Amino acid sequence: MVHVPAEQANNPAFKEHAPHAAAYAPRNSILTGPIAGFLAWLVPGLGHLYLGHRVRGLICLVTITATFWTGVAIGGVQGTVDPHDRTLWFMAQLCTGGNTLAAYGLHRAVEPRTNEPSVVSQRSAALLAHWLSSDVGVHYTGVAGLLNLLVILDALGRADAPRPARRRRDHLPGDA
Amino acid sequence: MTTTLIALFTTPIDLTGPQRFLLMLPLCLSVALVYKTLRMEDVRAIPAASLILWATIVLAMCAVGVGLWAVFSILV
Repeated sequence: MVHVPAEQANNPAFKEHAPHAAAYAPRNSILTGPIAGFLAWLVPGLGHLYLGHRVRGLICLVTITATFWTGVAIGGVQGTVDPHDRTLWFMAQLCTGGNTLAAYGLHRAVEPRTNEPSVVSQRSAALLAHWLSSDVGVHYTGVAGLLNLLVILDALGRADAPRPARRRRDHLPGDA
Repeated sequence: MTTTLIALFTTPIDLTGPQRFLLMLPLCLSVALVYKTLRMEDVRAIPAASLILWATIVLAMCAVGVGLWAVFSILV
């Protein structure tokens, strides 16, 4: 695809006379990359949706969100999203920003608000009984976070490219 | 309704038995799907490419598992 300035691409005279004018798209602004990256971090796939790659964005949104919450459902939120006991995994999970923040909010909401030894040991015993579930859940959520890191980097890379031309969205390779 | 939904994410599932290895399949599928979604230029080619990559990952992991099991059996 040929890069042209936005003013020229939107000029009716240019569209009329330039061959394949519909394939031309204006360059993105300097804020497009950071906005797309932040949206991709906040909600997986949202950066691609913002950039006009609808199919890619929807696939990433559904796949990564489902993977993350499947992990939470398998391991339980207290054993899965735990920044104190599983710090490195939590850093990986944080790459799916919105999901992890919501899960951590749920973690804090259901956590007993006492340091009573009996309550703490009861909770530890419950988590120990489900160590395998917690491990599987942590792997699911951690992999979801690392996958979203790829999605963020891809959204940042695509932000430099011209937006997909709206009228030929379904026909241009790479434009979803 | 809300309580049930919250309990779904706060109560761990009790995993036992060798069938727990089947949980590898959806995780590998999500890895393959996201990777191919980002790599493929033509979005219509994503499903087939993802399935091929998914089968490759699963077979490779099974092969590595069998190989490690064989080495372990010989050494121990």
